[in-house]
Amino acid sequence: MSGVFIRNVHMRFGRFVALEDVSLSVAPGEFVTLLGPSGCGKTTLLKIISGFTVPTSGHIEIGGEDVTQVPPEKRDTALCFQSYALFPHLSVNDNLEFGLLNKGMARGERGQRIDEVAAQLALELQLAKLPNQLSGGQQQRVSLGRALAMRPKVLLFDEPLSNLDAKLRDQVRIEIRRIQKSHALTAIYVTHDQAEALAMSDRVVVMNAGRVEQVATPEELYHAPRTSFVADFIGNANVIDAAVLGEDKPGLWRLQTELGQLQARSAAPPRAKEIRICWRPEAAELDGTEAQSIEARLTHRSFQGHYTDLFLDKEGCEFRILVPQVHADVGDLLRFTLAPEKIVLLEPVA
Amino acid sequence: MSQQRLNDILLFALLAVCVVWLVIPFGMAILWSLVDPAAPWTADRLLPPALSFSRWIDMWQNSSLKAALINSYTQAPLAAALSLSLAFPTAYALGRIRFPGREIAKLLVLLPLVVPSYVTAVFFSSLLFQLGLTGWKFGAIVFAHAVLFLPYSIRILIVSFEQVRDDHIEAARDLGAVFWRRWYVAYLPALRPGIFAATLIVFIKSIEMFAIAFIVGSPDIVMIPSLLFASLGQDYVRPNAAVLSLILVVPNILLMLFLERLLKSANPSLSSGKG
Repeated sequence: MSGVFIRNVHMRFGRFVALEDVSLSVAPGEFVTLLGPSGCGKTTLLKIISGFTVPTSGHIEIGGEDVTQVPPEKRDTALCFQSYALFPHLSVNDNLEFGLLNKGMARGERGQRIDEVAAQLALELQLAKLPNQLSGGQQQRVSLGRALAMRPKVLLFDEPLSNLDAKLRDQVRIEIRRIQKSHALTAIYVTHDQAEALAMSDRVVVMNAGRVEQVATPEELYHAPRTSFVADFIGNANVIDAAVLGEDKPGLWRLQTELGQLQARSAAPPRAKEIRICWRPEAAELDGTEAQSIEARLTHRSFQGHYTDLFLDKEGCEFRILVPQVHADVGDLLRFTLAPEKIVLLEPVA
Repeated sequence: MSQQRLNDILLFALLAVCVVWLVIPFGMAILWSLVDPAAPWTADRLLPPALSFSRWIDMWQNSSLKAALINSYTQAPLAAALSLSLAFPTAYALGRIRFPGREIAKLLVLLPLVVPSYVTAVFFSSLLFQLGLTGWKFGAIVFAHAVLFLPYSIRILIVSFEQVRDDHIEAARDLGAVFWRRWYVAYLPALRPGIFAATLIVFIKSIEMFAIAFIVGSPDIVMIPSLLFASLGQDYVRPNAAVLSLILVVPNILLMLFLERLLKSANPSLSSGKG
């Protein structure tokens, strides 16, 4: 088990800055996900960790050893590719064996390792087949098995589930997590799917435009995003500007917003006078009787089964709330409550 | 017109083309090669009056056919191998490395094809004399053929190199493969069809190339095409020319069928498709 330490990594391609001063520490046995939109630099960072790209500046340490200049073939990491990258002319068995042969492992030990991995991933019956004779899920398992057979210090995943259908994705997601936990492997996983990141990770690194926006547990990211980008990227959020008027009680801040004056609870003080705030659509309670209630007009409603998505407007300020059941029509005035602890203080307004 | 009728017409047209282009010329060549010298095939007869292998035996025993066969079937594989070896680095650069003007360079490599083979032949011949290498005519023919057909090899191999998947190379590296193991597992499966195709084309073109063999090689080196042209020209004997034509064509067809099987076994979808 080895940790990964990324220190002040910069990556430039000509004039394009792909990564800017990225630092991150991944503990041994931890499952960390790099999450962000296309072009945010997450795959570049993974390629730097795996050794395919050398950063413009900065350092990568794996297991306490500086591997920044070590090529991938000499680096003790194993990568699961988005495309699976199985060798098409080799059988499943030979694909699993390829890395072990490169290590110069004895035949008996190789066979034992392959049997072990095949049993773990239910590939025993597929060993003689070629990759194009397998389903997408089976190919993904072979790709995972090929990486696992190497028993690397760090397991890397580059959007490995993006080519699978939704149902299979859920199954393989659980499988990957189970194997990672059972082997206590250090894993770094790249995805743009926030649901996948929240479901699988010990910690999530949200990236945007080559920078790390926030590193936190899935729960913390969802309930206490640090920036409006994170709030918006992780689930749905209503983000509005607010002026800080003062502190009513310790940790209870009075804010002036487009929805009127609101109170927000936060142990940490606001980072500026003019800030952004957010709250999750499901945080609002309809027909609330609390003091902090807001009245707004219903502009659109969308029935989603176990809840209803309501789009509201208050003097040009649009937002949405999720409620379990509602008897209201478009154009009606609705009153809802927003508890101070449900409001999150974000970054200063630029 | 119904679809069935259209299909019938197209099928008939295809058969007619095959008959005109393949069956009749081949049939005539076979018949002419079997004409018995004692009973000439005259214009007033639809078919030869008597058939025998006399012409084949005569050509085998009394002409330079044996030497020509040995020379042709030695130089053609060597020319194909040399052409491939010379094409590999260029094709790799044009297929794998990105640089400004790459697309123009790809077109430029085809330019030598517009130079008539006789010009190349005369150039090589004069080069041999200037360098005092007149005793190395066989090597000169091999080299000339390899250079002449280099554009075919390069163009085919460029396409093959472009088919090599980056993720396969990266997966091989990630799994600790050294250079030659990466080559075996990531490059070779994608290159194999191209290698076969380039070999086949250079081999066949080289076997059939008259100009170089004649201008550079004669009179010391006899190749099948020079023998064929002699049979058709200075000492025109149609049955002998037919024997030579068949000798020239039949091994090529066999080779083509053999390589076609190999190409099928190196299914490009295996190397370019998912997986």
